[in-house]
Amino acid sequence: MSARATRILGGLALLALATGLAAGFGYAPREAIQGNVQRIMYIHVPAVLTAYLAFGLVLVGSIGALATGRMGWDRLAGAAAELGVLFTAVTIVSGSIWGKPTWGTWWTWDARLTSTAVLFLVYAGYLLLRAMVDEPERRARIAAVVGIVGAANIPIVHFSVKWWRALHQPSTILGPESSPIAGPIAAALFVNWVAFTLLFLYLLLRRVELARLEDAWVPETRR
Amino acid sequence: MMPDHWGYVFAAYCLTAAAVLGYWRHLVRRRRALDARLRRVKAVVPGKAAIR
Repeated sequence: MSARATRILGGLALLALATGLAAGFGYAPREAIQGNVQRIMYIHVPAVLTAYLAFGLVLVGSIGALATGRMGWDRLAGAAAELGVLFTAVTIVSGSIWGKPTWGTWWTWDARLTSTAVLFLVYAGYLLLRAMVDEPERRARIAAVVGIVGAANIPIVHFSVKWWRALHQPSTILGPESSPIAGPIAAALFVNWVAFTLLFLYLLLRRVELARLEDAWVPETRR
Repeated sequence: MMPDHWGYVFAAYCLTAAAVLGYWRHLVRRRRALDARLRRVKAVVPGKAAIR
């Protein structure tokens, strides 16, 4: 994608984020029981959905890298993993900040929280592994295996609230039943989810382009 | 009904903005550093450091 198209996508992401803020603080009403602290959900939920998307792309990129040996797939997987870790960190921190006034604790070893922390650590390890191997083809092969194995944790995180007794509420979106969320709150969530997805795509394109440049000429200058 | 806890809301949004802006800034700086190194290599060995 051209630099101009990436910039346009960045502008769209910025516009969508501003709309998301307006929807979260202006359009969506104060939640009846939780009060205004519920507005943290307009970043917490889109952040975790974006992290799922990112780790899904790590899986796709890893399979592509192993199947074809083309470095483009590896660059996609590496870039998506970096962003997945970023958005998982946002998920954990925003959830923790919401948890303190709502549950009375910053952290508890609940199934959803613990599996999300494990997801974060697995992909942080994936990034460390990538940083430790210099030779690009070897790095791509090793990282692809970890990227594929690590993806097994995504359904564990998502279904943890169904499989185990958890303090975390069950899925209110991406669940089997129709969502019980009120219309304006669901609309604000949707706008913020779109904004986070656009932001993710913009950052992904920039990171992939950076990785292409690194792979292209850094080995040349090491000689 | 719970009190509003605006401080927690503010903290969550600010930390998220700081994390995303920090990552974006890291990408921009890394790109600038790569471009600068590429220009230096091109100046020393013209034509040698062409990007594949």
